[in-house]
Amino acid sequence: MKKILSIVISILFMTTSCSKMLDEYNPGGVTADAVYTTPAGFESLVSAAYGYQRMWYGKEEGYNISEIGTDIWTSAAGDIGPDMSKYINFQGTSGIIKLQWGALYQGVNLCNAGIKLIGKAGLSDAKRKQLEGELRFLRAFYNWHIVETWGGVHFTTEETNGIVTTANKTPVETFYTQIFEDLQIAVANLAPTTSDYGRVTKPAAMSFLARMYLTRGMNAEALAMAKSVIDGGFGYQLQPDYKDLWTMANNHNKEVVYAVNYANDLTFNDLNHSGVYTIGHGRGSNSGHMMFDMKYDNLPRMARIIEYGRPFNRYMPTRALLQMYSSDDARYEASFREVWMACTSANGKPTAGGWSISGDTAVIATRTTYAGMPSKVGKTTGYVVYNINTIYKADGSVNNMLVYPTLTKHEDPTRLTYNEAQSEREAFVIRFAELYMIAAEASMKLNDNATAATYINVIRTRAAKPGKVAEMQITPAQVTLDFILDERAREFAGEQLRWFDLKRTGKLVDRIKALNPDAAPNIQAYHNLRPIPQSQLDAVTNPDEFKQNEGYQ
Amino acid sequence: MRIKNNFLKQKLLLSIALLFFLSSNIWAQIVVTGKVIDTENQPVVGANVVVKGTTIGAVTGIDGNFSISVPSSSSTITVSFIGYISQEIVVGNRTVINVTLESEATFLDEVVVIGYGTVQRRDLTGSVTSVKSAEIKKVPSQSPLEAIQGRVAGADITKNDGSSSSGITIRIRGNRSIGAGNSPLFIVDGIQTSSIDDLNPNSIESIEFLKDASSTAIYGWQGANGIVLVTTKKGSGDKLKVDFNTYYGISQVSRYPATFTGQEYAQIRREAKRTVGAWNSIADDPLIFQANELESIQKDEWIDYQKELFRNGSQQDYNIGVSGGGDKTKVYFSLDYLSESGILRMDDTKRYSLRMNIDQNFNKWIKGGIQSQLTTRDESYRRDPLNMANKIIPFGTIYDADGIFILTPGGGNTVSPLADEQPDVFKNEARINNVNANMYLELAPIKGLTFRTNLGMNIGNSRNGYYAGQNSIDRATSTGSQARYSASNSRFINWDNILTYHKEINDHSFTVTVLSSIVESLSDDVLAQADGQLLSSQLFYALGNAPTNKTLSSGFTKWDVLSYAARLNYSYKGRYLLTLTNRYDGASRLSEGNKWTAFPSAALAWRIVDENFMKNFSQLSELKLRLSYGVAGNSGISPYGTQSLLTTVPMSFGDSYFQGYTYSTLVGNVDTRWELSGTFNLGLDLGLFKNRIIVNIDAYDTKTTDLLLPRGLPPTTGVEKVNQNIGSTRNRGLEVAITSVNMTKKDFSWTSSLTWSTNKEEIVSLVTEGADDIGNGWFIGQPISVFYNYEKIGIWQTDEAAEAATFGQVPGDIKVKDQNGDGMIDAVNDRVVLGGQNRPKWYGGLDNKVSYKGFDMSVYLFARWGQMITPSFLGRYDRQSNLSNSSKAIDYWTPENPSQDYPRPNANISGSSTLYWSTLGLVEGSYLRIRNLSIGYTLPKLSTLGISSLRIYATGTNLFTKTKDSRLDEYDPERGGGESSPMTKSYVFGLNVSF
Repeated sequence: MKKILSIVISILFMTTSCSKMLDEYNPGGVTADAVYTTPAGFESLVSAAYGYQRMWYGKEEGYNISEIGTDIWTSAAGDIGPDMSKYINFQGTSGIIKLQWGALYQGVNLCNAGIKLIGKAGLSDAKRKQLEGELRFLRAFYNWHIVETWGGVHFTTEETNGIVTTANKTPVETFYTQIFEDLQIAVANLAPTTSDYGRVTKPAAMSFLARMYLTRGMNAEALAMAKSVIDGGFGYQLQPDYKDLWTMANNHNKEVVYAVNYANDLTFNDLNHSGVYTIGHGRGSNSGHMMFDMKYDNLPRMARIIEYGRPFNRYMPTRALLQMYSSDDARYEASFREVWMACTSANGKPTAGGWSISGDTAVIATRTTYAGMPSKVGKTTGYVVYNINTIYKADGSVNNMLVYPTLTKHEDPTRLTYNEAQSEREAFVIRFAELYMIAAEASMKLNDNATAATYINVIRTRAAKPGKVAEMQITPAQVTLDFILDERAREFAGEQLRWFDLKRTGKLVDRIKALNPDAAPNIQAYHNLRPIPQSQLDAVTNPDEFKQNEGYQ
Repeated sequence: MRIKNNFLKQKLLLSIALLFFLSSNIWAQIVVTGKVIDTENQPVVGANVVVKGTTIGAVTGIDGNFSISVPSSSSTITVSFIGYISQEIVVGNRTVINVTLESEATFLDEVVVIGYGTVQRRDLTGSVTSVKSAEIKKVPSQSPLEAIQGRVAGADITKNDGSSSSGITIRIRGNRSIGAGNSPLFIVDGIQTSSIDDLNPNSIESIEFLKDASSTAIYGWQGANGIVLVTTKKGSGDKLKVDFNTYYGISQVSRYPATFTGQEYAQIRREAKRTVGAWNSIADDPLIFQANELESIQKDEWIDYQKELFRNGSQQDYNIGVSGGGDKTKVYFSLDYLSESGILRMDDTKRYSLRMNIDQNFNKWIKGGIQSQLTTRDESYRRDPLNMANKIIPFGTIYDADGIFILTPGGGNTVSPLADEQPDVFKNEARINNVNANMYLELAPIKGLTFRTNLGMNIGNSRNGYYAGQNSIDRATSTGSQARYSASNSRFINWDNILTYHKEINDHSFTVTVLSSIVESLSDDVLAQADGQLLSSQLFYALGNAPTNKTLSSGFTKWDVLSYAARLNYSYKGRYLLTLTNRYDGASRLSEGNKWTAFPSAALAWRIVDENFMKNFSQLSELKLRLSYGVAGNSGISPYGTQSLLTTVPMSFGDSYFQGYTYSTLVGNVDTRWELSGTFNLGLDLGLFKNRIIVNIDAYDTKTTDLLLPRGLPPTTGVEKVNQNIGSTRNRGLEVAITSVNMTKKDFSWTSSLTWSTNKEEIVSLVTEGADDIGNGWFIGQPISVFYNYEKIGIWQTDEAAEAATFGQVPGDIKVKDQNGDGMIDAVNDRVVLGGQNRPKWYGGLDNKVSYKGFDMSVYLFARWGQMITPSFLGRYDRQSNLSNSSKAIDYWTPENPSQDYPRPNANISGSSTLYWSTLGLVEGSYLRIRNLSIGYTLPKLSTLGISSLRIYATGTNLFTKTKDSRLDEYDPERGGGESSPMTKSYVFGLNVSF
């Protein structure tokens, strides 16, 4: 009996020998220590560091924060961030603000970690130099977005370890000191070219540095740096015809200095996929093609088709933007659609994907006062005209938020179905044309309007319609800050630069008041900085030091 | 908003409750008199005295006396009373007959399963509710929990949705944890499992709900959310017993909100255009409608998609149970087939299960056995078509003149909700296999000592196959078909060793239990997906042929828990009861140094009724006071939740793939500890009139501390959150259960039972230290989930135009309260915690059972009261109305219709751009329903056919529902707000036969 008892008791407590079972075993999960200390693993860090750019470029939240809420765009009916677009009750609770803030700081944190850890990765000297250059560029790139958008907020060059619950307020100057340091190292380290479209190169870093110099009013440096890219023999050239910039087949062209890459295999892009890629964006790849489309598909005789896109109906041009283009400027037609043809299907019945464009005009939305012949509406022929006076009221505020000339720069007719939300279109960040505009603006600031006009005329020569080059030329006397801003609007409308341009030139409030009557009543000086996300303010344990930007609740 | 006065309903409930205390008193002529007493010489009040074979009867009075007239001296009188063994006495020539009734094994002797053992109800110190086989079988359902909804005080049971494969949610005494989950621990025949939905209700002997910490403490970890203990049936031994149970039922959508008809839709679209000046009269219709739409409007042709989609669902179940064995062997086998078809096509579930339970006595002191079950399920799911059906513009026809299906009937781009029903378009199905086997060996080498070892295993594998063609609802907004195959494999092992010693010394009785336990869970899974399958007939079986967007992933998860526990049950004279428990648990998922913790508890019970001074209160058959305090735990976080891991990021340069690894947004925390819940429980058990009326009342107060919360970190850190033990919650509540035998006569009985529970849940402290955590929506002093928003006070009316303008609004816009009165509305100052919470203030059930001869009938009322919901249909309003249809319940503002409910249609402004849009649709979801109405008939014995009992019955489920808020008149609030997979009502016919 005693024997049995002792067996029973030993069984009862045999589990003491099993306490090793409590060590966690996690073969599928990987830690930084394991991955970033190998050369291939470190390259995966650098690749991931590029990924956060995809949250901003080619994404709805990116357009809203960098392009909308300016003098040239206003809310269309489908806008999901009208608070931001029109400055109505715009607060740190905005989801757009929260998304961008988080992604940018995640990018900075990964770059900080990479720059710290690069020595432990076992890389060759050449590789190390190149990868450090890339990380330095990306850190500067992310920090610039942060400091221009929110001002002197949290700054660090250390990666986060453990639980950190505080944030600091750092002067704008400190940000830029680091940005310049990082970019100088990037320029020194990076290779002049790359076979990997989307990877940063020496001239791309130089171009961004030129943009930084201009931003900080270091005009001589800006001019010199822009010139060294323009004349540097890096092989860049303006596309002969502005509209060629936007054809899908020409995505990788010689005018692109730096772009955020989206692959044609959509699984290489950033769509959130539960279980596989959980931190992706809810709408992956480039979704710019849906944002600016007017709501055409339920108008009489229209149907949704691939060519005209999936109309999210988010943003529309201000009346002012439409009127900035002269009739000699080819960029208007290359940027906007005014005519929609009737859609038919082979058997005249509705079938998915079976619609095509007929030769018959159905809708015209025009910046002119053209009235046309709105006859036989709803019958087999005839069309409806929405002219500038039906789209906008006399004061320029919007009357019809559904129908308007539509920005076509981001459209992608190579998508396979009319509802496909993901586009492989690359998001251009720096075009060669910008270098000319930087040089021009810097020259003007240096009181050299003649040089400024020369640079601007390069751009305007390319922009001219055939036979209109002479009409498009400007004289040095015409060069003013407002002219440069108008020119940048004509050249870069919709390319996620506008907010920074207005910010840099101090013209945000003035130009919105003058040109965007929907936002004019609400815009205030404090809007030159965006509100810090409420989630950030709620989470910090030093709320007395880390406060909301002035003017916001 | 019309909130109806619910006073009448409350009054009704009250009067029904009062009926419990009524019992009948029928007096007859005096011929024979006598007194009925019990073995303790106490008079038995209310005993039935009936002349056998007649309807002549009498009932004993307050002193136990009766008188009755009998036809002749050869008559036999039957004396019976609930809780006593009936006696039959031949009258003979006596005129005075005194009868002593002996108690039968009663309610108090009932065996209740507790953790790692059983006790008699009279010795119970904790708060345990037991539900027996007969109750579980009563509402024919797929899952046993569904069958007993509302019958257990303190357990809030809801069905997730109306689909055939819907899961069940159960919350015992509310929510305690914010981040760590609130599901109770399920234990079947001693072995842990994650769900009991696979068990056939017919094969269950009993289900016990362990609610207070003293009861759950023996389970230490995971005990915090309560324990559900299931015991399956055992063999009957010698006597062969065969049970055959079957039912067939049809189900229909119970209540479902309609959309606007074609004409109503046309009208709201006109109103939306009118607001922006683009429509002034019918003459402008051609400007705003497509030609085909105009034609539909003129002909009044429109499609009622709901009608096209809904069908009658069906449920059928066939269950055969065989039980028998011999002297030393007891066996129970059962075979079950269940088939359920939902109210939408392609929503089907089939379940096959085999059970084998064997108990064997090897010799006088060794016995052993096995309980095993094999289940295989085939489930077919459907992509919810209702959200499409409810928003698609209703114009057009489903088929064209040639009978060909039209994919986009509106003429535009919205895909028909019926698309997935077309041949070869859509398939989403799962096969889920589970094998549970649980072996035990029990040794009783010396008197009072038993050693039991339990080894349980659960092997599960499941695979899900998904195919959606280009013309399916899912893929219409993407390119090409998509196919996906995912599979998972799991193994769960639980080994418990339990040593029990029982000893009685004079008036002292001791039971000591010591145990150890190992739990290990392993699982891995794989997912493969690709687009552009060439042939739809290949479904998800030829992924290699699908050319694009190939995605692969696989994963692994393992966790372990080691435990030791000890318990002492002590009783003095059966009057003073003490239970002391301690358990020591170690969990792999917690960080080094924090893996182990102890869960102590203590409980006291005092059976006051056994005290001498209670002798004079003869009506009281039970009076027991219970008090307990204990700590239960929750390990809470998912495995690896303490580690800082990298996450993969797909990246490309050009069109080439580059693997990216970045920091996960969840940062590891090496200081993660157990989440602890300390609960006080005060209970009172009361039995009246020989337990004809039994009342159980429990009050409790649970404080959960070291709450494991996913704490939001400042995004500036580059990470989003960390799991940390911060904050605490408190749950206080009261539970009442009353059962009553209202009337018991020869051939007739009426019994009632009532359960009623209330729980108040509140957050006591948070990481934000005294301040609310608005980012996460957590507020001190409020329940965990609240509605934090602007307070909608109506719609700006025409005569308020000037005031509206000061807020930048116009008549027809949503009007919210300016909480701080500063003349502007902002997110920081003007959002408040709105009244109400998403859990009910109280819920309860009232069951009345009546039987007369072979007939039985029961009516079961269920109510869930005080919970706020935001049903999707009350928010389904397309303000622009050029994209989609809206719910019929939307009473929108126009200058002619000064509604206070919904803003004016406006073609220029979408819902998401409308200020304060999220304030629409919050409503109180209180409801009262007849959960179940059953009528059955049990045939007299048919011994010739070998049938020992045969019952046929008909049951109606969810036949009648009354909601407090009239806006829910067309909605089933049990669904909780969702529009997909609506809840159903069903009519079921069944047969139970025993041989």
